[in-house]
Amino acid sequence: MKNYKMAWRNLWRNRRRTIITAASVFFAIFFALLMRSLQLGSYDHMFRNIIESYTGYIQIQQEDFWDNKIIDNVFEFTPALEKAVLSDENAKAVVPRIESFALASVGSLTKGVLVMGIDPEKENLLSGLRGKLVKYRLTIEAISNIKKSELPDKIKNELDQLKDKSFSGDEPLRVELGIKEKDANIMLAPFVKYATFKNNYLIESEKGVLIGDRLSKYLKLNTGDTLVLISQGYHATTAAAKFRVCGVVKLPSPEIDNMIIYMPYDVCQEFYNAPGKITSLAISVRKNSNKSIEAMISRLQTRLKPPLRIIGWREMNQLLLSQMDADNKSGMIIIGILYLVIAFGIFGTVLMMTAERRREFGVLVAIGMQKTKLGAVISIEMLYIGILGILSGIAVALPAILIGYYHPIRITGAAARIYEDYGMEPVMKFMPVDTYFLWQALIVAIIILIAIIYPLNKILRLNTASSLKA
Amino acid sequence: MKRTTSTFTLLLIGIINCLVLSSQSLTATDIIKKADENFNGEKSSIVTMSMTIIRPTWQRTVEFKSWSLGKEYSLTLITAPAKDAGQTFLKRLNEMWDWNPAINRLIKLPPSMMSQGWMGSDYTNDDILKESSVVKDYTHENTGEETIAGRECYKIKLIPKKDAVVVWGHQIRWVDKKDFLVMKTELYDEDGVLVRTEAGSDIKTMDGRVIQTKIELVPTDEPGNKTVLVIMDVKFNAPLKESFFSQQNMKNLR
Repeated sequence: MKNYKMAWRNLWRNRRRTIITAASVFFAIFFALLMRSLQLGSYDHMFRNIIESYTGYIQIQQEDFWDNKIIDNVFEFTPALEKAVLSDENAKAVVPRIESFALASVGSLTKGVLVMGIDPEKENLLSGLRGKLVKYRLTIEAISNIKKSELPDKIKNELDQLKDKSFSGDEPLRVELGIKEKDANIMLAPFVKYATFKNNYLIESEKGVLIGDRLSKYLKLNTGDTLVLISQGYHATTAAAKFRVCGVVKLPSPEIDNMIIYMPYDVCQEFYNAPGKITSLAISVRKNSNKSIEAMISRLQTRLKPPLRIIGWREMNQLLLSQMDADNKSGMIIIGILYLVIAFGIFGTVLMMTAERRREFGVLVAIGMQKTKLGAVISIEMLYIGILGILSGIAVALPAILIGYYHPIRITGAAARIYEDYGMEPVMKFMPVDTYFLWQALIVAIIILIAIIYPLNKILRLNTASSLKA
Repeated sequence: MKRTTSTFTLLLIGIINCLVLSSQSLTATDIIKKADENFNGEKSSIVTMSMTIIRPTWQRTVEFKSWSLGKEYSLTLITAPAKDAGQTFLKRLNEMWDWNPAINRLIKLPPSMMSQGWMGSDYTNDDILKESSVVKDYTHENTGEETIAGRECYKIKLIPKKDAVVVWGHQIRWVDKKDFLVMKTELYDEDGVLVRTEAGSDIKTMDGRVIQTKIELVPTDEPGNKTVLVIMDVKFNAPLKESFFSQQNMKNLR
């Protein structure tokens, strides 16, 4: 009989033992995958948030701007430059920006803010800014009105916790309240009626600004209100002007949401007294894989001359990257401990199996089976168990991960606030299938291979006579 | 009797001697006092000035008119360039306010802004506000004579008195012997490192006084940076009252 066939039959001679061993492998793979997916997914989500809503994948800046973000470090935005960048195969669009700081003042409230001069339409293409306009805001008044309408008590009770919260669309509000998709139309009607927030998007050359949701609450600003911005302009001129708030945007990153003011870039140039100048040119790309971004950066570097400088998202988010690296390491340690526990679990069952079958091995050797053949059969058995565990682990983890990817877990209530305090969006997102699957499978396979050594060793040194007496 | 007379005569001679000597060679304090009175001696002044801020890659000129009464009160109106024109600064004793017509706001300059340059120049707000008295707050020491820009000068070292509120470790001033003009000032920090140099030139007679109409300020630690003040017009002893220096008036100046 062939070795593999014999091994397969052996497995099912003692079903319970096989299943217990396979189960320990299954849990190892399942939990490792889930943890890894959650961790990698969160990083990915966080990066996408910050890259897509703020830095972009690649920017062109004046060479000193990154280290010294003052309004004097600007450069001329010319059609020739735009053409040069757009001629790159991976460039989709260029988005001019003027970025500087100012003091925003309303009445007796003052706060330091980040001013972003943007091209309203192009910026919308890059970061979907228009979609971030606040659609509903649950003011105390709105909540009390909504409570009068016909809604399930469960939702009404939840409303109090959402005081002053803003939502930039139907979807996040529906998820927060736990309303099912099919009920959305009816259930959201009172919100549309009482909590709709008046908002307009920026119009080029018009002296209106968009402000972050949290900033608007701090400065107690509403659409149509006026705020004063004071700063130092280009070449130490005075920059001071009044602006009308035309809308409020809710940005996923709480840190930026708390300090951002958007205005059309031509208005911003006038404010800072820097006509025709910008501080950075964000490039929206066709392919955003690391490889194509790196290739694009080196292509642009040969094409553009100083004082212009090309800067990639890695360099722009170094702090976040190193934070994530530290977090990633601690995640790996936890997974390492998980593997250690699992490894001993597997080893334990293997040990038992070897002890249980000592007599059987003795008989087999006594009737003439070669020890090497016996070792091979046992090894194949172990591999079967391993493959069984790994495959079933992946098979169960995969749907869970995919569900988590397409329907991220949105944390609500008090826990959400903790997330926001750390500057993170309260969302747990999974990473879809990627190389990390392979790694986890590989590590578990290695653990099994190590575990095989013990029974192999036992078999090869088997003393037939004494084992028969066992 | 004779002995008394001789003692008296001796004393008299001594006093006369002293007087003659002092008129020949002034003490360092006298020199600084005379130089200080040269510009700050009058009760009030109205000055029209331009200030050019020079940086390695650019430069910019601001014009302004300034009313002042003693060292305690001053009011400054920016007249050019157009974007800054209309902005006013009021100084009353130790406080400073800024009025900006573009935003209709009166802002009291906070302590955090004191070390920032005024209108982007090398003069800090603190320089303008905490103008200490070179006569009262320092002890003076004559350290020799040097010629600056063709004029013979006393070289005087100023060391701040212990209780004086002064940011400098010490100063060295070169005061012209003829008109008592401060030709050059070197300002040092507590460690004796040169922080900035101020030099006066373009000596002219304005409203009956001999003054320097060009003052250059060069900070040592920022190469290529420089601020040049040019006095275009001066009126001394204008009839200004303390009430002129009010927040109300900041908004009415044209």
